[in-house]
Amino acid sequence: MNVLEVSNLTKKFGGLVAVNGVDLNVKKGSITAVIGPNGAGKTTFFNMITGVYTPDGGSIKSNGKDITGSKPHEVTKNGIARTFQNIRLFGNITVLENVLVGMHTHLKGDLVGTLLGLPYIHKEELKAEQEAYRLLKYVGLETLLNEDATNLSYGAQRRLEIARALATKPTILLLDEPAAGMNPRETVELTDLIKKMREELNLTIVLIEHDMKLVMGISEHIVVLDHGEKIAEGKPSDIRSNTKVIEAYLGKSAVGH
Amino acid sequence: MKLKELLNNNTKLQAVTLTLYIIVSSAALYFSQKSVTAFLLVLASILLLYLTKFNNKVKWGIGLLVLVVILPFTASQGVAYESYMEVATFVGIYVAMAIGLNIVVGMAGLLDLGFVAFFAIGSYTYAIFATAQANNFLPDIFPLSGSWFWLFLIIGTLFAAIAGILLGIPVLRVKGDYLAIVTLGFGEIIRIVFNNLDKPINFTNGAMGIASIAPPSIFGFEFVQSSQFYFIVLGILLFVIFAVKRLEFSKIGRSWKAVRENEIAAQAMGIHLVRTKLMAFAVGASFSGAMGVVFAAKQTFIDPTSFTLLESITILVMVLLGGMGSVPGVILGAAVMTILNLQVLTEVTNWLGQLNMQGVISIPDALSPAKMQRMIFGLILVLFAIYRPQGLIPAKNPVFDEEKLKADDLNQNEEKVITAQQSVIDA
Amino acid sequence: MIEHIISTLPQVLIDGLALGAVYAIIALGYTMVYGILELINFAHGEIFMTGAFIGTALFITLSGLGFLAVMPALLALLLVLIVTSILTGFLGVGIERVAYRPLRKAPKLITLISAIGVSFLLQDLVRFITELKKGNYILTGPSLFTEQISIKASSILSSFADAQIKSSTIILVVTAIVMMIGLDYFVNRTKWGMAMRAVAQDRDTASLMSINVNKVISLTFFLGSALGGATGVLFAVQYGTIDPYIGFILGLKAFTAAVLGGIGNIRGAMVGGLVLGLIEMFAAANLSVITSNVFTAEYKDVFAFIILIIVLIYKPEGIFGKAVAEKV
Ligand SMILES: Nc1ncnc2c1ncn2[C@@H]1O[C@H](COP(=O)(O)OP(=O)(O)OP(=O)(O)O)[C@@H](O)[C@H]1O
Ligand SMILES: [Mg+2]
Repeated sequence: MNVLEVSNLTKKFGGLVAVNGVDLNVKKGSITAVIGPNGAGKTTFFNMITGVYTPDGGSIKSNGKDITGSKPHEVTKNGIARTFQNIRLFGNITVLENVLVGMHTHLKGDLVGTLLGLPYIHKEELKAEQEAYRLLKYVGLETLLNEDATNLSYGAQRRLEIARALATKPTILLLDEPAAGMNPRETVELTDLIKKMREELNLTIVLIEHDMKLVMGISEHIVVLDHGEKIAEGKPSDIRSNTKVIEAYLGKSAVGH
Repeated sequence: MKLKELLNNNTKLQAVTLTLYIIVSSAALYFSQKSVTAFLLVLASILLLYLTKFNNKVKWGIGLLVLVVILPFTASQGVAYESYMEVATFVGIYVAMAIGLNIVVGMAGLLDLGFVAFFAIGSYTYAIFATAQANNFLPDIFPLSGSWFWLFLIIGTLFAAIAGILLGIPVLRVKGDYLAIVTLGFGEIIRIVFNNLDKPINFTNGAMGIASIAPPSIFGFEFVQSSQFYFIVLGILLFVIFAVKRLEFSKIGRSWKAVRENEIAAQAMGIHLVRTKLMAFAVGASFSGAMGVVFAAKQTFIDPTSFTLLESITILVMVLLGGMGSVPGVILGAAVMTILNLQVLTEVTNWLGQLNMQGVISIPDALSPAKMQRMIFGLILVLFAIYRPQGLIPAKNPVFDEEKLKADDLNQNEEKVITAQQSVIDA
Repeated sequence: MIEHIISTLPQVLIDGLALGAVYAIIALGYTMVYGILELINFAHGEIFMTGAFIGTALFITLSGLGFLAVMPALLALLLVLIVTSILTGFLGVGIERVAYRPLRKAPKLITLISAIGVSFLLQDLVRFITELKKGNYILTGPSLFTEQISIKASSILSSFADAQIKSSTIILVVTAIVMMIGLDYFVNRTKWGMAMRAVAQDRDTASLMSINVNKVISLTFFLGSALGGATGVLFAVQYGTIDPYIGFILGLKAFTAAVLGGIGNIRGAMVGGLVLGLIEMFAAANLSVITSNVFTAEYKDVFAFIILIIVLIYKPEGIFGKAVAEKV
């Protein structure tokens, strides 16, 4: 069953066609990787799915619902969460609060109840805090809960972004270069975390990544973008030997060798 | 150094020091009624109180004791009583407004340069109906008596909040720094409109302003003196502080901060950008509107000159000086700026004037400190922006108790439901 | 009503052109700085105002020394324009160094606040100095270029009323055009202009290409402020009386003009300024007639702001700007 169906998705910036008629079907519970050289349009592709950019053509369906052109917050409510390539945490609030913000769609927290300090507000806050703490533990950041998010190391910030995304209780998780800037040990831990999330949280994961070892080791399905076009798609073993892909990454001359 | 450490950690010592301080300063004020310094020292006890490590309830108790009993009583023994209470009343009015602007600028990160417009809306709401002004467009039943003041406190608050929303709906779509200029324009528009809305129908009496506004009354008691308004303002202010404290660490307050920190990420977390900003605008505006009603009733006369850009900037200075996003900070900032404006600058000006008269020194009129407002504000803005953007009392984030969060079972914790939210309010 | 509008049209066009030229040059200063730093330089209106004061002070000095009587007025004006623009140019550079550069990595909000602070500081400094020297902060310079030329517009179309044009208006418009053409040439044709455009495009890449970004930013402030100061002089000559508070609202409207033309777009700023000047003068002349006295000319500022808000909401990229999506 497909939880995400993208067809003919297109985005132009002035004269530049950043994404050109890309199709993608993502199976429930799968791990899919989107790869391609710098500037291939991968992030733009994510940005359209999550409503940050409005597509110039094509359609996006998630969980059977058409979400083309939806606002980012609507997309999130429809069960899609994401992380960002250039980390976008709420820097000057604490780590735990960052995760709490992720939970907001599931909290009532209305104005009147808050002003009157009604018991259900306190109750849901406490519950949310405990849940947020659990999520921090899940990604291994629980000891840093009261730290401001800006003070975390690079790798920790990436994991916090994941925890925050999980807090929205997504069915589909989009990760934009989650291993960027991580050392090899952190990358291994991340790989385990991604696998664990898929198993334990019933998630479907789509990730953009340049680290080929990670990509090949983890994904069932790979999509390759180049200059906005989908040039290949298939199992890791197929992609590894695809001449078009090698060309795209290394230039034409490399293919002969 | 030793002493400082000792003071920092020993609550008993703090208690003794604070008590001594309050006794000495209030005695000074009691016996030396002309001393502005003594009056300011008594006010400053609130700051000392804030710095102590007492628990929250005790702090509130002592604070209320000082503000409700000690300050009014010790100041009441001389001729300067009303002028002291006038300053204290204005401190209260500005503190509430600064807290309101702090929500918009400090918490939600939206630079609003037309904030005084909401104050104006509150003021005019009451002024028009508490004078014969409303007869110009409604049946001849006006002016309303001062007992309507209390209802108008709510109406003025609502009107300001609605104005905040109406302004916000178009304006909050505008990107970041443009917002500053649009709100600035809005502030000017409101002032120009009030200045000209004496025709075709005379709503606001234009540049002439509205005079003889009915003072508030309750059960036949009329509030006319500053010393009486002081208590109204204090009451509203307590409510405002209470409200903002509740909001600050709630879902709503966190949404504001998320939007301030990163709009795109906030949206990706499911936060409705415009709605969240609108809420900040409306809540901030409502505080300002409430104080506008009080201002009109207290002054009994208002005209558009009270609602200029300079006023908006004054409130911005208070927020930046105290610490953006920090409630105790902006309270301090507002108090300092109001006292500086109303008391210190005039005092220094008078003093220099006397020296001038006696021929001790000769200072040209241009140098008169009372005229230096803009320069002082400008300097504070630039210097704080560069050297201390977090303000005098920087904003604090809540500290969560790990032990409480570890517990999985909610029922066991029913008692401890007073979670981080409370522990933060204590801080 | 229509007759009134048509008959006043020639005068509206003349006055609108003069005011529009002022807006246009000030808008240039906003647009250049915004193009490079993405900062609304609130102090720019005050630089204009400072220029007006420096210029007037120079005129008063010249006339006090008796030079004005013996020297051709145009020469005096040229001298004053040059001196003033150099001074305000350095003032702008100084402001950037002191109040903006330390904040280049700070949140935008903080930089904006600093800019507002500078703006207030300048207002009071000028007020203070003028009051100290003159005892009053409202300043009137010697009247120059006051010959009225009558334009027989009625001979073109009989329903036009004749219009008046002061010779200072002609000077204002001509100088403005010269300055705009000069700037346009500088930005588009010279090496430094190219560096400015490069920095505006992408500061990081530009610095990698061994462009001295700080120098370019200083240069931008110098040019914008010099033009702003010179406009202040022209404004003072044209309208006679100035006070330290003229810069703020005028600056705000010039900013509106910059937004109208597409912020960051130099030619757009010129067109935006002219459009806004014409609209404003049209409103001032006809608003009360059109609305049968419901709205008087005092609402003309409201008009400008409403235009600003509408443009920002519906076409934030302005008339000539390209819509850009923020990179995520
Ligand atoms: N908001 C925007 N405005 C203009 N051009 C954009 C915008 N966003 C992306 N682009 C352009 O679209 C193209 C694709 O960019 P995108 O960020 O999607 O690439 P990517 O595949 O994620 O690359 P990388 O691996 O470097 O992250 C690039 O040429 C980029 O410059
Ligand atoms: Mg990318």
